[in-house]
Amino acid sequence: MIWQQLQSLAGSYPLALRGLGMTVVLSLISLVLGTLLGFGLGILRTGGNRLISVAIGAWVDLIRGTPFLVQIFLIFFILPEFCIELDAFTAGIIALTNLAACFICEIVAAGIRSVPTGQVEAALASGLSRWQRMRQVVLPQAMRIVLPPLVGQYVLLIKDSSVVSAIGLTDLTRVGWLVVQRVPNGLLVFFLVGVGYFIVCYPLIMLARRLERRMGAAHGEVQL
Amino acid sequence: MTSSPSKNGTGMIEFRGVNKWFGALNVLRDITLSVEPREVVVVCGPSGSGKSTLIRCINGLETIKDGDLVVDGQRLGDPATNMTRLRTEIGFVFQSFNLYPHKTALENVTLAPIHVRKIPRTEAEQAGRELLAKVGLADKVNAYPSQLSGGQQQRVAIARCLGMRPKIMLFDEPTSALDPEMISEVLDVMVAVAEEGMTMMVVTHEMGFARKVAQRMVFMDAGAIVESGTPDEFFAQPKTDRSRAFLSKILRH
Repeated sequence: MIWQQLQSLAGSYPLALRGLGMTVVLSLISLVLGTLLGFGLGILRTGGNRLISVAIGAWVDLIRGTPFLVQIFLIFFILPEFCIELDAFTAGIIALTNLAACFICEIVAAGIRSVPTGQVEAALASGLSRWQRMRQVVLPQAMRIVLPPLVGQYVLLIKDSSVVSAIGLTDLTRVGWLVVQRVPNGLLVFFLVGVGYFIVCYPLIMLARRLERRMGAAHGEVQL
Repeated sequence: MTSSPSKNGTGMIEFRGVNKWFGALNVLRDITLSVEPREVVVVCGPSGSGKSTLIRCINGLETIKDGDLVVDGQRLGDPATNMTRLRTEIGFVFQSFNLYPHKTALENVTLAPIHVRKIPRTEAEQAGRELLAKVGLADKVNAYPSQLSGGQQQRVAIARCLGMRPKIMLFDEPTSALDPEMISEVLDVMVAVAEEGMTMMVVTHEMGFARKVAQRMVFMDAGAIVESGTPDEFFAQPKTDRSRAFLSKILRH
């Protein structure tokens, strides 16, 4: 019987590849967008305008304090009530990007705050503009603090992308649900789904660990 | 006791009745002081007397509460004054060096000339090498700050300021964080800068340096300028009890 199941599973490998592809594409797009947005928000969060900082802080807390599944449902089912039609893919991208941006915002803000005031004063005193101070002096130093948790966050977000199966996107998790209806061996099927995620995440876990070691060892002279 | 501001406002740095508070603490009390072009003024006084705050106001690292502060003909706090541009004319040397740790000595020196003055990179690097050679660090151009001693870092920091060809240089206790054997190498560079005719305000307790290059000593206590005069006058005949007490403490050793 297990032999038949394996054969049947082997037959559904194109579907599995599609699911894996969907997970990777979804994660990649939302991580890239989320990183850009997260850095922007993190810079604004520490930028000195109190109103903007508080507003971003409130939004980040809201997103971090509610389940991702609920956020996806809100975007996918509630927005159409306000005549904003979204396909599942776009809704998934929006929800994941927003989630990524919020977590990355806090990581970036913490990194920026870790740069000693004297560095900003030195840059200020030599006449660098606000953006030049950020780009040339603050961010390169903040990156040492930011990079390890950032890559770690990527791993969490890739795993969180499995939640998009709830709105019908055929990602790796949903492929598991589909296949298990034909091959009634949940343990085997979802073991393989887990392996799929692990294959995507493990290189990032290794990278995060390497970065952590490198940043810990070096003092200041890390070149990005 | 304070020197009067020049009538026509030709001073490079002009404080007129400047006050500043940190909360309820009056850290600068009615400061009136004029520094002429090419003049070297040494500011001394007990810790907490407001010396650092005084020079940090000049390039806007601190803001003043009331009174006028005019630097290079521009009034600070005036909407017409472009603070970022004014800062390019003012070099500031910090007690803790504040070199950029992720950049080499040369990159520290060339960063602002390239990005603020828009000097072509090769030209800026040429000038940067010359400046580092001038402060005695020709062999350290590619070293990172963490690979340099305190004295070397402070000399890079001075070269970094000179790279902008400033009109004014401010020094905030530049040798206080240094091991004793490194102090003179930094002071030598500062003497050389002074002798080239730079307008300088130096917060320091290095009285040897003051005797050598200062045209004027300013003694501060509790946020006010208590006494000012030439170094010879100040050291030979301090006029107030507070300055006498201060001098006896720092000159005892």
